Amino acid sequence: MRPRFLRLPRRSSRRIRADLEEELRFYFDMRTRELVDGGIPEAEARREAIREFGDLEFTTRYCLAEDAMSNRDTHRADRLAELRQDVVHTWRTLRRAPAFTAVALVTLALGIGATTAIFSAVNGLLLRDLPYRDADAVVRIWGARFDAPDRAGQISVADFLDLRARQRSFTTLGAFAFGGGTYVGPDEAVPLPGLRVEPQVMQALGIRPYLGRVFTLDDVSAANPVIILAYGTWQRLLAGDSGIIGRTVNVSGQARTVVGVLPPAFFFPSASETEIYTPLDLAALQSDPVRARRFRRLGAVGRLRDEATVEGAQVELVGIMRQLEREMPETNTNMSVLARSARDAVVGDVRPPLLVLFGASVLVLLIACANVAGMLLSRAVGRRQEIAVRAALGAGRGRLVRQMLTESLVLACCGAVGGILVAIWGSRALGTAARGVLPVAGLVRVDATVLVSALLVTFACGLAFGLVPAMSMSRELQAALRGGSTGTTAAAGGHRLRTALVTGQLALSVVLLVGAGLLTRSLLRLQGTDLGYDLDSAFTFEITLAGDRYRTVASHDQFFDALYEGIRALPGVVAAGGSGNLPLRGGSSASFAIEGQPRPEERLPEVGYQPVSDEWFAAMRIPLRRGRSFTRADHDSAPGVVILSEGLARTYWPGGDPIGARVRLGPDSTAPWGTVVGVVGDVRTGVDGEARPTAYVSARQDHWGGAAVVVRTTGSPGALLAAVRHVVRGLDPALPIAAAGTLRHAQAQRLADRRLPMQLLSAFALLALALASVGVYGVMAFSVAARSREIGVRMALGARPASVFRMVLRQGIAAGTIGAAIGLAGAIALGRMMAGLLYGVGPVDLPTMVVSVAVLLLVALGASLVPARRAVRVDPLTAMRAD
Amino acid sequence: MSRPPIDLLPGTVDVLILRTLAWEPMHGYGVSRHIRQRTDGVLTIESAALYQALHRLERRKWIRAEWGLSENNRRAKYYALTTEGRRQLRAEAATWRSYVEAVFKVLEPA
Repeated sequence: MRPRFLRLPRRSSRRIRADLEEELRFYFDMRTRELVDGGIPEAEARREAIREFGDLEFTTRYCLAEDAMSNRDTHRADRLAELRQDVVHTWRTLRRAPAFTAVALVTLALGIGATTAIFSAVNGLLLRDLPYRDADAVVRIWGARFDAPDRAGQISVADFLDLRARQRSFTTLGAFAFGGGTYVGPDEAVPLPGLRVEPQVMQALGIRPYLGRVFTLDDVSAANPVIILAYGTWQRLLAGDSGIIGRTVNVSGQARTVVGVLPPAFFFPSASETEIYTPLDLAALQSDPVRARRFRRLGAVGRLRDEATVEGAQVELVGIMRQLEREMPETNTNMSVLARSARDAVVGDVRPPLLVLFGASVLVLLIACANVAGMLLSRAVGRRQEIAVRAALGAGRGRLVRQMLTESLVLACCGAVGGILVAIWGSRALGTAARGVLPVAGLVRVDATVLVSALLVTFACGLAFGLVPAMSMSRELQAALRGGSTGTTAAAGGHRLRTALVTGQLALSVVLLVGAGLLTRSLLRLQGTDLGYDLDSAFTFEITLAGDRYRTVASHDQFFDALYEGIRALPGVVAAGGSGNLPLRGGSSASFAIEGQPRPEERLPEVGYQPVSDEWFAAMRIPLRRGRSFTRADHDSAPGVVILSEGLARTYWPGGDPIGARVRLGPDSTAPWGTVVGVVGDVRTGVDGEARPTAYVSARQDHWGGAAVVVRTTGSPGALLAAVRHVVRGLDPALPIAAAGTLRHAQAQRLADRRLPMQLLSAFALLALALASVGVYGVMAFSVAARSREIGVRMALGARPASVFRMVLRQGIAAGTIGAAIGLAGAIALGRMMAGLLYGVGPVDLPTMVVSVAVLLLVALGASLVPARRAVRVDPLTAMRAD
Repeated sequence: MSRPPIDLLPGTVDVLILRTLAWEPMHGYGVSRHIRQRTDGVLTIESAALYQALHRLERRKWIRAEWGLSENNRRAKYYALTTEGRRQLRAEAATWRSYVEAVFKVLEPA
């Protein structure tokens, strides 16, 4: 016979040896027989055959080596050829179905892009190293209270010094205080947020400066004031002048020598952006022992000893605070501290929303994969003939599965290209959007790590959505080879699989819808709450007095009086007032004592404390309930006056009238009493909008050297900026105004950290819904096509079009209902995870769930409409004649 | 088998195998018998060298192998010439021919 010469399969080394032995045995047998035929006895013939062969042992070794090599070469070449063939084949198939390809690619690009973009944030904020030497050892320490141990506050100077003297957990421990300044340049004045830091702080962080040096202990008490600049500040204000070290800059009217510029990647482990650093001298703050112990204004940064942990340090520091509490109950009752790793300090707040978003993006990706898997599945069924032909032509099952996987991987890779573009854009947008929320938002970008993980994800996706149809095809092929029916059962199996995929998609969509709904409702609650003041038609800005002109408190009064007067003279302005803080920023607090109600000092309640100008309440539209507002007569040397918030008045004078009562604010028990002259409406402060009991004092009696100004106007508040700037410049051209904008905008910015996750999650939910609806459409269309014969029979037997229509819709609704049920379970789990992000809504919120499910069912219904109409149009005759 | 066998020049085995397989696919024993018969025993190739050459040529993809059934119904490894092998054979045959012609020109001057 004439042997076929097809490729030998790849052989194992044992197989190669066996083949060689068999080949040689065949030779010896044949040769022996030849010799026997020539008349030589069998045993002798065999010996002769072996003898005349030559060096058998060497030949065996030689042949084995040659075979192993050719085996490897052949295999490699075959694989490459197959791969090329598969890729070319895939390319052709994809081009033949442009609609399918486009939908699949867009789906994948969105799924991969969304996940990669969010992962770039996770990577930048949660995974990447912080810009500190040995960053895991860096610990941030706040003040706290024993009854609210997680609420970060500040530490007093004396407490900090005691902590530093007694602790054993840190090698270096330094304190810092907030202290920005105004940069006075040649033609502009710029407010710069800043910190006053002990040299130990920079040591603890292990900063290697970009230029110059960090602070040393000598800088603290040196006569020559020094300053260190952040890289961005140096670039922006000094145009990156590398000769700046040793030169002076004017900050808040003082000439300071620049000794260093920090590296570009550096940021301080606090929630706010820092542009300038000046040395902090704790000794100077210690001069007044009462203030040193009672005024809490420090934060601290430490570097752990080798064997110490953050938790251990926290335990030790709290222990020391307990000692201090025992030693000085009158000042230190309830005073504790809070230690957290630097990473928690920087990104602790964004971790929960970020993880929720990451989870959401993964869900979107799963939905995208399920979609593509479903599409491939129905196409695989449609390509049954092609596959059968290929199988008949000798393509093995493994080969066909490999080809389908190649197809899905090619699809995934093309999708990934689009996905990475989406991710680059998305991560940039994310960084920009997060800038107002996070000082470290610049870390969000697509880098090598992100790209590599995107590629891994792509491959995982390609395998995931390729395996499903490949396995189903393989099963079908088996059935076909066994001579079963032409794949109707397999098609039914494929359909079941597709229905399962679509149900899963719908379930995931419900999870995302509910999550987005919960966040949206939280935000609406936050925005909709009656704040106690009027956000509309008000303009706000911040101003800080700086320079020699403002040495005396009288000069402050003079400046602000002139400022408010000038602004009030602008057209449309109704009132202008200032306060130490905008209420939505939270604010400071003070202990509150009432004359005639003696209480031990540590039992005194803490209330909100706000120095405000005469017209503050009018400008904010905070209603005056009783008494009067502050006036020009409440000046520095006049008797102290206080205005209470309604809630505060109600608590301590239930049913009574606080006007005329005398109260004392602050820890200094020798300070004179102030008289209550008025009661105003409650104001919700902070982001969470609690109505904090607040005591107001006149800005003429407590000078802060700065104000958040609110201007009430009848016109458009946004148009006031230029006019206000003109007024300020007329008073003092060196003073910059900051944070200018409408009051509504200022509040919106405060909510930005809430809005961002809400918007993103909503976007993901919509994306998921869109993808799922494509999925539902696909599966219904396919089902109608596959059942057209059955539908034809039904119609021939007298089924009315309406009932056929309903039958198809019912199928879509069924998938939607099952999906919704599964999804709700998931949504409850998600709600629990998100509990910390919610405001005014429970994690299990019935209205949100009802709306989400309704939306989902509508989408499922909508996606089934077109296939249902197609089903009605099935012509019984054509349908039954087919096949 | 009248004359004593002569030693082979290097490279001869390869070209002889290629030429032999150009007739039809054959197993190793067939190749050895064929060469022996065609050269009337003048050229005897040691079977060890023959098998080494077969596996070497297979690795070079000048021949390829496939298991088949022999004349007496035994499993045997058949070798066949590949396209590349055929090209190689043509090149080598030409070389040999010019070599031999050159030698003859010296030995038998016309």
